[in-house]
Parts: sequence; structure tokens; C-alpha cells
Amino acid sequence: MSAGSEAGPRAPGTGAGSPAGPDARSRRQLALMLAPYLAGLVGLVLLPALVTLALAFTHYDLVRPPAWAGFDNFTALVEDPIFRIALTNTVVFAVVAVPLRVLLALGLALLLHRRTPGAGTARAAALLPTAVPEIAYGLLWLWLLNPLYGPINQVLRVGGENGLTALGRTPPQWLTDPTDARAAIILVSLFTMGETFVVLLAARRALPRDVYEMAAIEDATGWDVFRRITLPLMAPVLALLALRDAIASLHFTFVSAFVVTDGGPPPYATTYLSLFVYQTGFEYLRYGYAAAATLVMMVLTLAAVLVQWRLVRRYRRFYPR
Amino acid sequence: MTTVRSKSLLAAALCGALAVTGCGSGVGSSSQEQIKLLVFGAPEELAAYRTLIDAYEAARPGERVQLVEASDRKDLLARLATSVAGGAPPDVFLMNYRFYGQFAAKGVVEPLDGRIAASDAVDPADYYPVAMDAFKWHDQQLCLPQNVSSLVVYYNRTLFARYGVPEPKPGWTWNDLVGTATAMTRDGRGLVIKGTEAEGAARLPAVHGLGVEPSIIRLAPLVWSNGGEIVDDPDRPTRLALDSPAAREALKSLVDLRLAYGVVPSDAEVEAEDDESRFLNGRLAMLMTSRRATTNFRTITGFDWDVAPLPVYQRPVGVLHSDAYCMTRGSRNKDAAWRFMEYAMSADGQKIIAATGRTVPSHIETSRSPAFLDPNLPPRNSQIFLDAIPTVRALPTVSTWPEIEDLSYGILENAMHRGDRLDDVIRELDAKSRPVFARGENG
Amino acid sequence: MSEAGLVLDGVSAAYRTETVLHEVDLAVARGELLVVLGPSGAGKSTVLRVAAGLEPVTAGRVRIAGRDVTDQRPGLRNVSMVFQSYALFPHLTVAENIAFGLEVRDTPHRVARERARAAAETVGCAGLLDRRPGQLSGGERQRVALARALVREPDVFLLDEPLSNLDLALRVEMRAELRALHDRLGATMVHVTHDQTEALVLADRIAVLRDGRIEQVGTPEEIWRTPATVFVARFVGSPAMNLLPAGGPLQPAGDPPALPVEAQIGFRPEAVNLDTGHGAPAIVDRIEVVGEDAYVYLTLEGGKPVVARVPTTRRPDRGAAVRVGVRWTDTHVFDATSGRRLAP
Repeated sequence: MSAGSEAGPRAPGTGAGSPAGPDARSRRQLALMLAPYLAGLVGLVLLPALVTLALAFTHYDLVRPPAWAGFDNFTALVEDPIFRIALTNTVVFAVVAVPLRVLLALGLALLLHRRTPGAGTARAAALLPTAVPEIAYGLLWLWLLNPLYGPINQVLRVGGENGLTALGRTPPQWLTDPTDARAAIILVSLFTMGETFVVLLAARRALPRDVYEMAAIEDATGWDVFRRITLPLMAPVLALLALRDAIASLHFTFVSAFVVTDGGPPPYATTYLSLFVYQTGFEYLRYGYAAAATLVMMVLTLAAVLVQWRLVRRYRRFYPR
Repeated sequence: MTTVRSKSLLAAALCGALAVTGCGSGVGSSSQEQIKLLVFGAPEELAAYRTLIDAYEAARPGERVQLVEASDRKDLLARLATSVAGGAPPDVFLMNYRFYGQFAAKGVVEPLDGRIAASDAVDPADYYPVAMDAFKWHDQQLCLPQNVSSLVVYYNRTLFARYGVPEPKPGWTWNDLVGTATAMTRDGRGLVIKGTEAEGAARLPAVHGLGVEPSIIRLAPLVWSNGGEIVDDPDRPTRLALDSPAAREALKSLVDLRLAYGVVPSDAEVEAEDDESRFLNGRLAMLMTSRRATTNFRTITGFDWDVAPLPVYQRPVGVLHSDAYCMTRGSRNKDAAWRFMEYAMSADGQKIIAATGRTVPSHIETSRSPAFLDPNLPPRNSQIFLDAIPTVRALPTVSTWPEIEDLSYGILENAMHRGDRLDDVIRELDAKSRPVFARGENG
Repeated sequence: MSEAGLVLDGVSAAYRTETVLHEVDLAVARGELLVVLGPSGAGKSTVLRVAAGLEPVTAGRVRIAGRDVTDQRPGLRNVSMVFQSYALFPHLTVAENIAFGLEVRDTPHRVARERARAAAETVGCAGLLDRRPGQLSGGERQRVALARALVREPDVFLLDEPLSNLDLALRVEMRAELRALHDRLGATMVHVTHDQTEALVLADRIAVLRDGRIEQVGTPEEIWRTPATVFVARFVGSPAMNLLPAGGPLQPAGDPPALPVEAQIGFRPEAVNLDTGHGAPAIVDRIEVVGEDAYVYLTLEGGKPVVARVPTTRRPDRGAAVRVGVRWTDTHVFDATSGRRLAP
């Protein structure tokens, strides 16, 4: 990638180890250290996932034994208008929120990577929402978005009359208008980009300083520096983070939709796949059906990952080692 | 894959993923003594159950009950389902008859007829039949109703006195309700205002005349009172059927409260402050809800309030609200669970819960005792809950009813707040409810 | 001063609270190749960075081609810089790297490409234009960095140890090319190095820097023949110049100059004669043979060390007792306390 980071990401241990025998030993040690994680992964993630996959082909209500259903659940999903809405909502959310989240994180990282007074505090502030427990974070937003008494709309109404904004418009109806509510969910998700922010902060700091000094001597404008240097140098990291965010976006709608909008405004403006799965599975006890929806979600994730991976690989060709 | 294996795998999965309360403690030795009671509710309600448990443990040394608290109804359903699937269900749970159907149909609930017959403590004749019947599934008594509430109109007497509007009286009609609500919708200066021009317009009502949520359970008594039905066949429903003239008229009356008269808060106002808080804060003249709100309203100190019966359309009809203690079939300690249920259903147990204001006791004698009717505890007019009991009707018991409520709520909310065309609303309710009813099982 | 390419006028600079340049005065004539020489930490790079505008000055003025640029940002100073690390953009091809400075200054794309090609040809890397830095060897990267520096026509070239990352053979080769390039372009260049050989070979003039202060500025010959201070005398030349107290165990032959009480004498290893048969007695400690030359490390009576360079064929044996002779004409005299040159 860059001259500065060449030395950095070399995996520890690749060069370690004395010549004879210890290869097998270190491998054994590695396996031993990985064992607890692997056991947890298999027991708590893989097995349940496989069971879920299997249950997608059954009628199962969590109470009575599962009965084989073949592709019944999937045909039902195709015809289920709520599922279609949830699917659309999910895709639209990912398409809008993921780039916005990454861009916000990038903007903040570029703004705050320098050692300037207050930068540390600002960095902590940017991280803070990610550290708040999800439910509490959701409840906080429920208050922030309150259409009449919430601080956001209070601020928007400053300078306006009769409950209108200064521009004479109705302030956003966060919890009652479908479009505004979807925007609200995206807004809520934006501020939890702390992890992405931290990674980008580290990535930006790892970029060689002299390259930027070079650009300064050549009188490159801020925009030129961003476009021609920073962005291309950080592109691999950005792509990876976008990928990760796209996967995560399938579930980080859950708490906000569950706590803030309850899937509404009616009928299903903010019902995302995660909420749909939860409702059908645990509220309506249609676990097999929910499992089928989960399977669709996983396939979707996989598709998103593959598409992005191909894009990343195409880009990677520019960086021969 | 065999059933047994998939179930145990699932149990493991759920244990890890959900941290289900019941999971894992099933093997403990102490469960021999202790039973688990799964409930949900506001802090005051949970406090009432703790009081009940304390009294029970004091009265019956050696018995121990653990209260498992769910955060809300949906959480309770999820916990119950997952703990049943995980093989460690609570011994007793409390559930509304509208939601117990799916568990009844799936054999989660233990039939109680044998135990009732053998019991000295529980005599079915001591309880209101309408509540007992609501928990019969295929002629088996599955649960024992703890309460028998119905819909009433809470009203803020201080506000009525301030604006000189006559208080609601028994026998009042829907038109009286609309008239009263209109007269009670006031702006900040105390002048009558029509809330329909609200959205972004000159003046917002400071006090709304009425709070009522646009749900099927609020609509149902209205439709019945007008001589209509909400489903095509109350015993074997296959769809929500509001297409009869009587039902359509009732639906129109409900949405007109917002669309034509503007006496109920707009959707944004409801989101900003729900009806119960609005009433608590003195900004709602009347609120249509069940006995459940009483506990909360007893904290009111700023004004005087009371309850009035539901207004009559054609004939007086109420809608049943009732929760019951149900025993799980998977309980490992059914005898201990039954002993607790007996106590909770006894006059002593019913008095403890009634004292919190939360319930209208299903135990007839208790409901007529000062424990419920004490005039010193608001509402003074608790008698109207009892007067309504002969006319209350239960909603259809079908296992997919929770889904029906959820889907109809979205449609009705849009009808009331967005002004969707009634024909479309009725057609949508019909079309969307059909597949859900078709999946359901009837009791 | 109109003929000056770069002038530092009483420039001080600080890193955080520590002053790293102390009122440095330095004038580089137009077309001159000045080498800033000094050990690491002497502030050599800071001189370049201050000239380029990458570091602010705390005092003094910086002038480039007669313009006072002290308060100008780097981009307006019209300088080119070659970094020790070359600072090539890893994601750009060689052609794009060279053309970068032109492109960001809105030179038309075709023109920029053409000039990049010309610059690449000048330094002999025209065959690499479509490669990326990751595919280049160290020497190739160095050429690309040079090409990038000269694609514009800057008033001053600033080269920050550009040869230090190359192996010796390549360094010698590039050294010669760099000098040839300078002569061809007639450009003003400031070249920073810690390598005294490089400085002596390349420079029109050398500025020796020590602890943020200039010790001496002069032609390579002046630096070599009349070092202004003990520091310069010992820093330039390998092995370093011998230093002994005047009036000590070794008395040079010939007519002594007038000496103050506290003086030091210095003489280079090649000035030492072991064959005269007279002079101060000494014992041979060890001998380093470097081809034709042998460096003889001796200890005088009283324990003072002296190094001598002799032809390998006439080297003494280890442990042998010899006599160390040196002439006053080959001897430098320094003030013992200030280290400044006294005579001749």
C-alpha cells in the first residue's frame, strides 16, 4: 500500500520460530489458544445458525415439534407483503446509511487526526454514542426525536411561528411520517460509527507524513490532497469498513426500529428484516418462517459481500506489492 | 434430523443467544421448592405481584415463588415461547385472553378442570362467568382469570368543573361523547378550539377532549353497540368484516373524532406524549381505557378524576379485558404452582391485587367488597366497572389474534390520522386479515 | 543579494520547546550546489524544512530568489524537495508521480505528461513511466523522486539525504549523476548529508552544521585545508584528525608559530611520518590495512593516541616501537578552550 505502512501490518509470528521442529509445536500452541474461541464459535454461533437454516424448511412454532415444510416458507415469503416491505426497507437503509456512516467517520477522522487542542475531547465525543448501551441509546433518541417536545424539533422551530420552522415549513415528523421516520432511523445509526471512526483515525495516522509535505510543497489544495492522496491511500480500508458496515447494517436497525419507531409509522415504514424476523419468530411464534426470512437475509448479506469483494479486488490490482 | 435432537440443539442455541431467564436453572435442586411466575407490567403492577408473593410466602411457610419480570407484553410472549422451547418454562404466567390463544392451541397450557374439581379453595361459581369462559379452550378451563375489566371513560373532573361542562353520566350516548369532547377541547386561553386545523396551523389545543387509540379492541364495543360485528363469524372467524353498515358507521364515528371533530390528539401529539401521560399531566379531558390505568392515575395529586361508563350507540355493550394465571404443561412443579394459583385466586389473593387498583377482581365477592369499591380511593365510581360486566363481550379467541391486532392497528391508525378512505380501510382489513385467520386455530 | 538563490538570515527554529536552529545565516548563490553537512541531530533537515516552509521560523527571514518568503506557505515558495524516503505516492504511476506538481497546478494534462516524460528522460527513468513505486528498486525510486523535483523549474532544489538509502556502489554512481545533473541544469541546490565524502565530492561549497549552529561555510578545499574549528577538523576526514595538546609529547619539526598557552595542535593521519627516525616515541597498538593504505594506531608516551596513514608495504609490526614525526607546515593550531582555529 504505502511506504509507511509496509512495515506495520506484518503479522507477528510469521518470521518467528527457530528452524527445527517448533513449526509443529507452534502450530499446536496456536490450535490450543484458538480452541476456546473455536468451541464458542461452533457452539454459540455455527450450530445455532445451522439449526436455524434447517428450521427454515420446517413449520415450527417453538412449542410443538418442527414439521417438514419443504419450500413452503419461502413461497409464503415471496407472497408476504410485509416481508417485501421489510426487505425493501433493509436494502434502502443499507444503501443510504452505510455510505453516510463511512463518510461521516472519514470526515471526523480527517478532522480529528491531528494533535490540536480539543481534538482528544472531540474524538472521545465521537466515540461516545457507540459506547452507550443500545437500548439506552434508543431511548435517548426517542426523546430527541419527540415531534413536539424533542430538542431536535425545538431547535428546528427556532425563529419560526406556530410550530413551523423559520422557513415556514412543518418540522420533520420523525415518528409519524414514513419518510421522516426512515430518515430518523438512518440518523440514529449515523452516530454509532465510532468503531469505523477509530479504524479510520488509525489508518489516517499511519499514512506517511512526507507524502503530505510533498503535496504541500507542490501547493496541492485541500481538495486535491483529499482526492489524489488521502482517499486513494485509504481506499482499501474504506472498502473493508463499508463491507463490514453493510453486513452489520442488517442488524443495527433492530434496536432503533424496536425501541424508537416500533416498526412504524403504520403500516411498516421502519420494519426491517431484523425486526420482521423478531416479530414473526418470537411474537407470532412462527419460528420456521422467521428462520426462512433469516436465511434470505444471510443470502443477501453474502451477495452484498461478494459484490463488494469483487469491487475491492478490482481496486486492489492498482496496488501490486 | 430428529425432533429430540433439533429441540435440544435449539435449546442450546436459545440459551446462548437470548439468555432466557428460565434456561439453565431447570437442573438446579432448589427448583423443587421454588416456582416461577412470569408477568409483565408497570413498576406499580410488579410491586403488586411482589406484595402478593410476600403474603403467600408468609401465609404458607415453605412455599417460594420467584417473580420473573418481562418488560412488556411482547417481551413476555417471547420469553414464554423461548423458555418453553428451551424446556424450562415458568410454572405460572399471567396473560390476557387475547394473547393466550396461541399457547392454548399449541398445548403449552395445562388444563385445570381436574384440579378445580378436586380443589376446596377454587369454586368456579365464585367468579364472573364471562371471564372464566374467556379462558376455556375446547371446553377445557385452561387458565384462571385474575380480573374482569372493561373499557370505561376516565375523566378529569377538575377540568370539567373549570370549563363548566356537565360530567358524563351513565347512559350517555356516542353523540353526547362527541359533544362533550368538543366542548372540552380548549386552547391555551381556555377557549373552545377545533383541533382539526392543528397541523402547523395557528393554534394547537392545550387540552384535548378525548384520548382513544384507533385499535380493534377500542372499535369492537362501538361496532357491537351499533349492532354490528367485527369479524364474519364470531365463533369461526375468517376475516375482519367491517363492511356491514353498522360496523362501517361505527368505524366512521371513531375516525371522525380526529378527522371531523379534532377532539383527539394528532399522531404527532400522541408520539410526543402518549394519552395516559397526557391525562396524567391534565391535558386530556377524557381517556377511554381499561382498569389498568387506575394504578398509574392514583399517583395524580393535581386534580380530581373519576370514571364513566362507555357511551352507548344503540345498546350498551362492553369489551372484556381479562388476564389469567395459566400453568405451563412443562412445569416441573405443578402442585406447588397450583397451590400458588389457588391462593392468588382466593379472596385474600384477589384483595391484595385489587388494593393496588390494578384490577377489577374476577372473584365476585371480592369485587363487591371495599377492597375494590372503597370510595376513598379514586375512582369513586368503581361500581360502573361492575355494572358493565353483564354486558361485556369477549373478542374472538384465535391463536393468531396478536398478529390481527398488530396489522389492524397500523391500518386503523392511518385511517384515523392520515384520513385513508374508509372503503379502502375496510377492504385492506379484510384482505390482510384473511391469511392470518386462515393460519389460526380457534378455541 | 539579487544573485542569491536562497538566503537564511538569522533564522532560528524550534521543535516544541527545544531550539534546533540558532540564528543561522546562510546564503546560497544562484546556480550553486551547497551541501549542508553535519552529524545527525545537528539540524540539517530543519534547514531544508525551514527553507521549504514546512517548519515555521521563530526568528529571522527566509529569502528565495530575492523574494522574502518567510510568511508564505510552502506551495508559493517555488521550491522542489527530494525526501530521504522519496515520498512517492504509492497509488500513482511513475508518470503520475512526476506530473503531480503540474497537475495540481492545473497544467493541461497533455502538457504535464509531456514534461513528465522529459524530466524522466533527464534522470534516465523514462522506461519506468507506467510502473508504480512498489515495483521499483531503490535507485529507480531515487531517480523518479529527482525527476519529480525537476519537472517544474523551481528556484531552489532541496535534497534531504537523497542518497542515504542506496547501497554504496549505487550511491557513488548517483553522486556523480547528481553532480552532472546540477552542472547541466545550472540549478540552485541545497543538499543535506551526514556523509563527508559525499559532501566533499559534490559540493560547490559546504556548510558544516553542529547543534543548530553553522561551524564553517567554505569550498571543500577550504573545509579540508583550513577547518575553522576542531569540530570541523575532526568531522571531515577519515580517520579523524589527530589532536594533541601543544607543547605535549609530540613536537612538530620546523619553525613553530607563536602559540598561546592553551593551544591544541592537529594533524591528519597522512601527515604523520614514521620513517624519519626522530620524533616522539610511540608503540603500535593495531593496524588496519585498506588496500594500498594502512592505518596505524599508536600510543605516545603518556598515553595519547595518534593515527598514521602509511603505505601498506611500509607498515610497522604490531607492538613495534616507532618514532612519530610531523611537520609544522602540516599542523593546524586550535584554541584549546573555544576550539577555534588559531594558525596558520
